[in-house]
Amino acid sequence: MIKKKGWLSLLLATVFLVSGCSQGNNESATPGNTDSNSGTGTAPATAGGSEGTALAPAKLKIVLYGDESNRMKELAKTEFYDVVKKEINAEVEFQFLPWTEYGGGKTDLMLSTGEDFATYTDANYMVKSVAKGLYTDLTPYIPAAADLSATVDEASFRAFQLDGKQYAVPVGNKPNSAEFYSVLVRQDLLEEAGMTQVTSLAELEQFYDKAHALHPELIGYANTDARRMLQYDFTDKNLYWQNDFIALDESAKDDQIISWFESPEFKTYAGLMHGWYKKGIIPKYAATNVPQLQSDWNSGKAMFWAGTAARPFEGAATISQAVPEAKLVNYFLGTGRPKISRGTYSTAFFVSAAAKDPERYVMFFNLLQKNQELYDLFAYGIEGTDYTLDANGRLTKINTDSLIPDWLLMNKNFMRFDNTVPDDFIADYKAWDDGAIISKGAGFNFDNTPVKNEETKLNGVFTEYLAPIGSGFSDYDSAYPKALERLKAAGIDKYIAEYQKQFSAWYAKQQ
Amino acid sequence: MQTTENKGLVIFFYVCIAVFSVICLVPFVLAVSGSLSTESRIAAEGYSFWPRGFTFETYQFLFGSKAEQILRAYAMSLFVTVLGTLTAVLVTTAYAYVISVKGFRLKNFFAFFAYFTMLFSGGTLPWYLLSTKYYHLGDTLLGLFIPYVLSVFLMFLMANYFRSIPHEIVESAQIDGAGHLRIFFSIMIPLGRVGLVTISLFYALQFWNDFYLPLMLVTDQELYTIQYLMYNMMANIQFLASGNAAQVGGAIIAPPLETAKMAMTCLTVLPIAILYPFLQGFFVKGIIVGSVKG
Repeated sequence: MIKKKGWLSLLLATVFLVSGCSQGNNESATPGNTDSNSGTGTAPATAGGSEGTALAPAKLKIVLYGDESNRMKELAKTEFYDVVKKEINAEVEFQFLPWTEYGGGKTDLMLSTGEDFATYTDANYMVKSVAKGLYTDLTPYIPAAADLSATVDEASFRAFQLDGKQYAVPVGNKPNSAEFYSVLVRQDLLEEAGMTQVTSLAELEQFYDKAHALHPELIGYANTDARRMLQYDFTDKNLYWQNDFIALDESAKDDQIISWFESPEFKTYAGLMHGWYKKGIIPKYAATNVPQLQSDWNSGKAMFWAGTAARPFEGAATISQAVPEAKLVNYFLGTGRPKISRGTYSTAFFVSAAAKDPERYVMFFNLLQKNQELYDLFAYGIEGTDYTLDANGRLTKINTDSLIPDWLLMNKNFMRFDNTVPDDFIADYKAWDDGAIISKGAGFNFDNTPVKNEETKLNGVFTEYLAPIGSGFSDYDSAYPKALERLKAAGIDKYIAEYQKQFSAWYAKQQ
Repeated sequence: MQTTENKGLVIFFYVCIAVFSVICLVPFVLAVSGSLSTESRIAAEGYSFWPRGFTFETYQFLFGSKAEQILRAYAMSLFVTVLGTLTAVLVTTAYAYVISVKGFRLKNFFAFFAYFTMLFSGGTLPWYLLSTKYYHLGDTLLGLFIPYVLSVFLMFLMANYFRSIPHEIVESAQIDGAGHLRIFFSIMIPLGRVGLVTISLFYALQFWNDFYLPLMLVTDQELYTIQYLMYNMMANIQFLASGNAAQVGGAIIAPPLETAKMAMTCLTVLPIAILYPFLQGFFVKGIIVGSVKG
């Protein structure tokens, strides 16, 4: 009798547990089907002004990653709350998670257990989550983001589409082209070495030699990857990397992908890097301690770094703590090849599949980039309390607490600079994307399910064999044959064939 | 002859332990010295065993800008540790008493029931669902300690300890008319003091060091514990340094100052570092007593 009772209670407990799990799955497995009792009917009309009151009340939860500052906490309950309430009649709540939970961890748990929220994503995480049915298809609600669509380019939207459906809304509009294709040089050191500019690899090495003679304690290049900035020397193609293994030649109008490690370009590149390593341009410790490179750069102990449009002023802010006179300038080591862009977005917001009112979320994303006034509020706070503007529109922060992270919102139409950024920097920055082309692979998302095992093995081979060759730590001629053997054993041919198949099919559809 | 041999061995052991403790101490010394250094000199010259440009500025800065948050988190940690330990000890000893008491027929079932969870668990997802959707522990004070109130390992430790108490004492109390409640509170608890102190220390340490429950269940900053505050800060720095941040479209966020990180570390470790030497005797004693059935 007692034994029976025991078993019965055990059974009951199991049933409860199982029912708990299955309920969660049910809730999460309904992409797009969630009823939005209030929003769907009102679509495009709401994009314009303060029609918030015409909408039924809604509740929004926006998850952001990083530290929540005190000021953000305050504003989230006051001004931000009020503005969102007034504009789209929604009560918005911000929840901050540690960065470790981005693209996994608690974010995954929240998605799988059917919570109602929105946060940002990258293409990889999007592909994975959409396959599990965890994102809402936002295609029908895009008209609600009319203001945002006007400032964010078409290519950015395409980057977050799968099978023609929009699964995330890109936010931000900044010059993104040629990321890491330029050399970010310490101009103060360059001038000290008696030079004015760097236009070729030879000049860059000359700069290293001269600066090294003056400051032997400095390292040359504070990174282990220079394939982009050096492409002007090792190839005539205009290469753009899809991932560690695959590159596209943007100067050719075809759908051919290049298996980077099997290409002759890789051989030449590895030779250049090995030369840098032997010469000491890349320090010996780099082979074992990559993070040290970045902190060396930050503390002003390196001569050059990989550049982006924004790094001359973003990077200067960090370095100036250690070296107040530091000045940073971008140089390309060759000319005549258009800059390549992946789209101008900073990131993209998705809405969880369990969201009751996905359209209202889209309206909220729209507010983030709607106009200068709202942008100033979300990025910088309240004028007079958090920042002041001078006659030229230059920003001086009174309160240094970060609000909605400004890298996320960064939109060149609205963003403000502080007094330390020279006018010509700003002009250069805004014109950075002029003449740039969108990568022919932009918007293509590889579905890795057919080659998942191969991909895992390849990543292992990459770390163990190919990264050291690519960074110049090992000599190409002696190390490459074994690396190639491992690549083949890991299934590089199958991987490349699958990628080519998917890419060609996608490319044909785009034409 | 034997004594010299022993002496040699003892010296050898002492040297080993000394070397090991120095190795353990190095990071801590670096943290303390880092927290007392000037930020610019740390950035330019790196860490050292002696503070570079001795200053209390970092602590002043921390207590100036984040004082309220840190103090609240400290209070929360302390509160959760005390409340959690009390609850956990009560639940654990009660369960341990039940499965160790003579004459209770279901005791093997309950022992197995607890033991089963040591071998198999539902995993994170069901746990999260159960905690948030059914028990509604999300964003509550209870959520910070309830999931941890029964550590099966400590429960068995305690049960073993109870079993070592001579049954005759319990029997004589029963003859005098004492019920289980009376026996539990008036005999078992006082006699099981050493075991009790041990599991209390384990629980207290667990509650103090825990950042998982706040990470999973809490979003309200009012409920942050000091460890979670710390974890949050470190997690953000590590993520940004790992290069994964590039996937988020070139997020550039200035990491917190090096010295501030170190000062936070010192603040978190301090109470435990001060208390530990006084309490560690109980850890060793308790485990030995509990594990040898007498």
